[in-house]
Amino acid sequence: MADDLDFETGDAGASATFPMQCSALRKNGFVVLKGRPCKIVEMSTSKTGKHGHAKVHLVGIDIFTGKKYEDICPSTHNMDVPNIKRNGLPGKGRCPRLTKIWGAPVSFAEPLPRGGVCWAWLRGPPLALQLIGIQDGYLSLLQDSGDVREDLRLPEGDLGKEIEQKYDCGEEILITVLSAMTEEAAVAIKAMAK
Amino acid sequence: MNNASMLSTYSYHLENQNHHLLFASIFWQTLACSILTALLSEFSSSSKTSNIGLSMEFHGNCKRIFQEGDLRQIFMLTVEVLQEFSRRENLNAQMSSVFQRYLALANQVLSWNFLPPNLGRHYIAMFESSQNVMLKPTELWRETLLDIRVMELFFTVHRKIREDTDMAQDSLQCLAQLASLHGPVFPDEGSQVDYLAHFIEGLLNTVNGIEIEDSEAMGISSVFSNLITVFPRNVLTAIPNELFSSFVNCLTHLTCSFGRSAALEEVLDKDDMVYMEAYDKLLESWLTLVQDDKHFHKGFFTQHAVQVFNSYIQCHLAAPDGTRNLTANGVASREEEEISELQEDDRDQFSDQLASVGMLGRIAAEHCIPLLTSLLEDRVTRLHGQLQRHQQQLLASPGSGSIDNKVLDDLYEDIHWLILVTGYLLANDTQGETPLIPPEVMEYSIKHSTEVDINTTLQILGSPGEKASSIPGYNRTDSVIRLLSAILRVSEVESRAIRADLTHLLSPQMGKDIVWFLKRWAKTYLLVDEKLYDQISLPFNTAFGADTEGSQWIVGYLLEKVISNLAVWSSEQDLANDTVQLLVTLVERRERANLVIQCENWWNLAKQFARRSPPLHFLSSSVQRTLMKALVLGGFAHMDTDTKQQYWTEVLQPLQQRFLNVINQENFQQICQEEEVKQEITATLEALCGIAEATQIDNVAILFNFLMDFLTNCIGLMEVYKNTPETVNLIIEVFVEVAHKQICYLGESKAMNLYEACLTLLQVYSKNNLGRQRIDVTAEEDQYQDLLLIMELLTNLLSKEFIDFSDTDEVFRGHEPGQAANRSVSAADVVLYGVNLVLPLMSQDLLKFPSLCNQYYKLITFICEIFPEKIPQLPEDLFKSLMYSLELGMSSMSSEVCQLCLEALTPLAEQCAKAQETDSSLFLATRHFLKMVFDMLVLQKHNTEMTTAAGEAFYTLVCLHQAEYSELVETLLSSQQDPVIYQRLADAFNKLTASSTPPSLDRKQKMAFLKSLEEFMANVGGLLCVK
Repeated sequence: MADDLDFETGDAGASATFPMQCSALRKNGFVVLKGRPCKIVEMSTSKTGKHGHAKVHLVGIDIFTGKKYEDICPSTHNMDVPNIKRNGLPGKGRCPRLTKIWGAPVSFAEPLPRGGVCWAWLRGPPLALQLIGIQDGYLSLLQDSGDVREDLRLPEGDLGKEIEQKYDCGEEILITVLSAMTEEAAVAIKAMAK
Repeated sequence: MNNASMLSTYSYHLENQNHHLLFASIFWQTLACSILTALLSEFSSSSKTSNIGLSMEFHGNCKRIFQEGDLRQIFMLTVEVLQEFSRRENLNAQMSSVFQRYLALANQVLSWNFLPPNLGRHYIAMFESSQNVMLKPTELWRETLLDIRVMELFFTVHRKIREDTDMAQDSLQCLAQLASLHGPVFPDEGSQVDYLAHFIEGLLNTVNGIEIEDSEAMGISSVFSNLITVFPRNVLTAIPNELFSSFVNCLTHLTCSFGRSAALEEVLDKDDMVYMEAYDKLLESWLTLVQDDKHFHKGFFTQHAVQVFNSYIQCHLAAPDGTRNLTANGVASREEEEISELQEDDRDQFSDQLASVGMLGRIAAEHCIPLLTSLLEDRVTRLHGQLQRHQQQLLASPGSGSIDNKVLDDLYEDIHWLILVTGYLLANDTQGETPLIPPEVMEYSIKHSTEVDINTTLQILGSPGEKASSIPGYNRTDSVIRLLSAILRVSEVESRAIRADLTHLLSPQMGKDIVWFLKRWAKTYLLVDEKLYDQISLPFNTAFGADTEGSQWIVGYLLEKVISNLAVWSSEQDLANDTVQLLVTLVERRERANLVIQCENWWNLAKQFARRSPPLHFLSSSVQRTLMKALVLGGFAHMDTDTKQQYWTEVLQPLQQRFLNVINQENFQQICQEEEVKQEITATLEALCGIAEATQIDNVAILFNFLMDFLTNCIGLMEVYKNTPETVNLIIEVFVEVAHKQICYLGESKAMNLYEACLTLLQVYSKNNLGRQRIDVTAEEDQYQDLLLIMELLTNLLSKEFIDFSDTDEVFRGHEPGQAANRSVSAADVVLYGVNLVLPLMSQDLLKFPSLCNQYYKLITFICEIFPEKIPQLPEDLFKSLMYSLELGMSSMSSEVCQLCLEALTPLAEQCAKAQETDSSLFLATRHFLKMVFDMLVLQKHNTEMTTAAGEAFYTLVCLHQAEYSELVETLLSSQQDPVIYQRLADAFNKLTASSTPPSLDRKQKMAFLKSLEEFMANVGGLLCVK
C-alpha cells in the first residue's frame, strides 16, 4: 500500500503536471487547457446522438492571466492537471473578487492593496514572501526557510512599477508568488504587517 | 356595479333579447355575445371576476342564483343560435365570426364550475382556477342537458366546422365537457346509460371514416378520456354490446394512428407535439380501462392490446420491421444532434407511455412476450455480425478513417426500445414496497409450464454466448425466461465487444438500458419468494428460486457485468451510476447478498476499491459513494466469523489506515492543498457518506463505532480546510448522513457521543465563519450549501424526538460496557447552539431560495415543538428574529411554510401558559400571533388544508389571551353595519366557544373547539372574506 501512497517525496520530485481521466475532473479543480494552467469554472457533458459517447466541455480560467479557455474532449481522455504551489507566509487581507471566485466571501484582517487579483484564483488566504532587494530586474525574496531566492523577475507593467516605487521608498512589502508548471510569477504585493 | 343590480338589469334584457337575437344584425349579435361572455366571467367567481369588495358568501349566492336561472337561459339561447347557424350553408366571414363567438360562449357555459347547493366550505374552491372542470351541474339542468338534441347539435356543429382550427378547438372542448357529464343531473343509472349510448353513437359517427385534422387530435382524445374516466364501468358495459365494441375498436384505431403521427412529429422535430400529447392521453385511458377485470371478461381486450402494442413497437423500430425515423413519404431521416446531460432519458421521459404499453403487453402476453423475444434475438444476431464486420475492417486496415455507424446506431436504437418495453412489461416500478411478479406474467408462465422442457430452458438461460436457436429444442422453453435470456445475450455481445477492444463502437445508452433492465428484473425475480404468491411458476422457481444453481449462476454473471462496466465505463457517469445501483440491488437483500459474497469477484472488487487504484478511482464521487455503500451492505451477509473479520479487514480497515497515514504526516498542514492529498481526503469523506448510507438496524452498532472514530478527525479537517468550501461541505455532509441514518437507532450514551461531536463541529464552523459576510446579491443557491447542510444536520438531530428505534443501547449491548450517562450535552444544547449560529446568517434574501427557506422553517418549527421551554431563554435579538421569521412565514411564504409556522405556535403558547409569566416577551409575541391567526381564519381566504393547524394554534392562543380574544371579536362585530350579518356573526362566535367555556388546555375541549371551528368556517367563513 505504501507504494501508491508516498507523501514523503513532497514537492521535490513532483512533476509539473499529472494526468487524470477527464471524467474524474471536478468543478473548482485545476486542469491544463491549451497549455495553460487553469481553474475549472464550468464543466458539463454532452454526446452526439443518443448512442454517442460522453464528451466533456470544460471552461477554465488561467490562474496567471485570468484569461478564459475552453475545451471539449472525450470523457475517456486523460487531461493534464497542474501542480500548483504558492510560496511564502500566510498574509492578511480581503479580496472582493474572492467572493465571486470561491463561491463564498473570505475576509481577512486587513484589506489588500490593489493588484491583489491573481492569487485569488487559489484557494485559501494569500501567501507572500518578504521583498528584501531588487537587482537587475530580479527580486530578492526572503523565503520561509530563511534562504533568499533571487531568480524571480520583477513583473512588467503597473505591478512592477509599484513594487519598485515602494521598495525605493523603503516600504516593507510582501510579494505573493504563484507557481504552476514551468511558470512562476509575482502576482501581488501588500504592505507587511508591523 | 353591484352584482345584484347587475343581475336584475341583465335578466330583463335577456328576456327581450331572446326573441330578437336570431334576427338581429351581425353587429348586435356580436355585441350581445360579448356582453354575455363578460357576464359569465363576472359571475363565474373565478380569478377573472373583478374585485368589487363583496364577501365571498355574497359572490357564492349570486353565482348559485345565476347558474340555476340565467346561465341556463344563456345556454339555451346559445344552443338556438348555434342551431340556426348549423343549418345555414355558406357562412360569410362575418357570420362565421359570430358563430365562433357563440361557440366559445357555449364552451364557457359547459366548463362552468357548478357550485353545489350547500356552500359549506366550498367558498374557497370558488376562486380556485377553473381549469379542467368536469361538468357536474345541478338537477335543474336535467331537462336541458339530457335532451339528446343538444348533444347532437354539438356533433353536427363540429362536423360542420372541423376544418377551422380555432373553432374546432371550441367545439371539441364542448364535446369533451359533455363527455364528462355526471352528478345529480342523471336521475338514475338508466338515464346515464342512455346518455352514454347516444353520445358514443354520435362520437363514432363523427370520428369514423374521417381523416383527423392535426388540430382535432387533442380534443378527440379528451373526449375519449373523459368518457372512460367519468362513466362507471357498469354503465359502460350496460350500453349495447355492439356499440361498446365499436367504441373500443375506434379507440384502438385512434391510439395506433395517433402513435404513428406522434412518431412523425418527432422525426420532423415539431415544437408543438399535438399528437404526442393526444397519444399520451389515450394510452392513459387504456390503463384505466384494462385495469378492471371485474366488468370485462378475461381476454376481452387482448386483441386490442395486441394492436396497440404492435403499433408502438413498430413506431420505435427501424425499417423494414418498423417505421422509426421515416417521414410520411417513407424517406428515412437521420440527424446526429447534440444531446446535453440535462436531457431526460427515454425511460423517464416516456415512463407513462411505457407503463401503459407494458400493461397492454401483459394483457396480451401470449403474443407480446414471444414477439419481443424474437425481435431481440434477431437484433442480437445482427449486432454481433455487424460488430464482427467492423472488427475485420479494423484489422484489415487499421486507422482507415471513420466507419459509417448508421447500421450500428439503428440496431442500438431498436434494442434500446425493446429493452425499455421489456422492462416495463416484466416488472413494475416499485418504491418502498416489495416488487411482485405481475400476475399476468406469472399466469402465462404457469399456463405453459407443462409444455416446457426445464433443462433446455436452463440451457438457454445459462449460455448467453450462444445463439438461442442453436440450442436443440429451443422452442420448448419458458417464454419469459427466454425473453430474459435474450437480454442477457445483448449483454454478452456487449461484453465480448469490450474484450475485443471495440468499446468505442458500443453504445453507452444501450449499456445503460441493459443494467437498468437487469436491476429491475433482479429486484422482482431473483430469488423469488414463494411465500408471496398463491401459485408459482415451476420454471421460475427452478431457474432463479432460492438455493438453485440457476440463481447462483445469474448472481455471478451479474456481478461480472457490474465489475466490467465499472472498469470500462467509468467515463460514462450515468451508465456507471445505473451499474452501481444494480450492485446495490444485489446486496441490499440478505438472501441475495449471501450468494454475492460467495463469488471470488466480489472480494476482488472490495480489495480493488480499498486500494483506490485505477480504474475504480476514475469513477465519479457519487458512484464511489454508492459503491462503498454496496460493499458495506455486502459485509452483512451470512459469513462465518473468520471470514467476516477478514472481509472487514479488506474493506473498512484500509480506509482508516490510509486516512490516518495522510493526516498524521508532520507536514500535513503544508501539503493539504496539494491535489493528491486533497483527492485522498475527498475520497475518504465520500466513502464515509457511503458507509453511513448503508446503515440498517442490524449493522448500526458496528458502523456507528467505526464512523465515530472518523468524526473526531473530520473536525480537525474543518480547521485545515477552512478556506476550501467544497471540502468543508463534504465534512458537514458526513455528519448529516450519520445523523440522518443512525441517530434513530442510538441509545442514550451513543447519541450523546454524536451530540458532542456535532457540537464541536458547530463550534469550529462558527469560529471559522466569524465575521464572514454573505452579501453578494448575485450569489447562487449552491454557495449556501454549508448553511443548508448545517440546518439539515440540526433537523436530523432533532428527528430523534419523533422517530426513535433505540432500546437503551440494545443494539450495542455486548459491544461496550455501559457508560455513565451523566454527561451534560443534550440534543437541545447542540441544536440551540446551532440555531444561534444559523439565525444570524439567515437573511430575508436567503429565504428566497426555496431549499434554504423550507429547511429553515422545518428547523425552527421542530425546535418550537421540541424545546418550547428554551425559546424564552434565547438572547433577545435571536428571539426577535425567530418571532419575526414566524410572522414572515405566516404572512408571505408558501402554504407549506405557513402550515409549519402555525404548528410552531401551539407549543409556544402552551409554554407561555405553563410559565404563567404575563410580562415575558414570548407572552407578548403570542398576543400578536393571536391577532394574526384570528385574521387569517376569519378575514382571509385560506387553504382548507390548514384549518386544523390554524385551529389548534388559534385555540391555544385563545386560552392564553382570553381577554384579547373577546376584544377582537367585539371590534369585529362593532364594525358590522348590517344587523343581519351582525347577528349571524355574533351567534357563530357564541357557538364557536360554547363547548369550551372557559377555554382550557384540555384535549377534549380542544377537540370540541376544532369541531365547532369547522362549523364556524362553513357557516360564516365566506361572510367576511372579501373579493
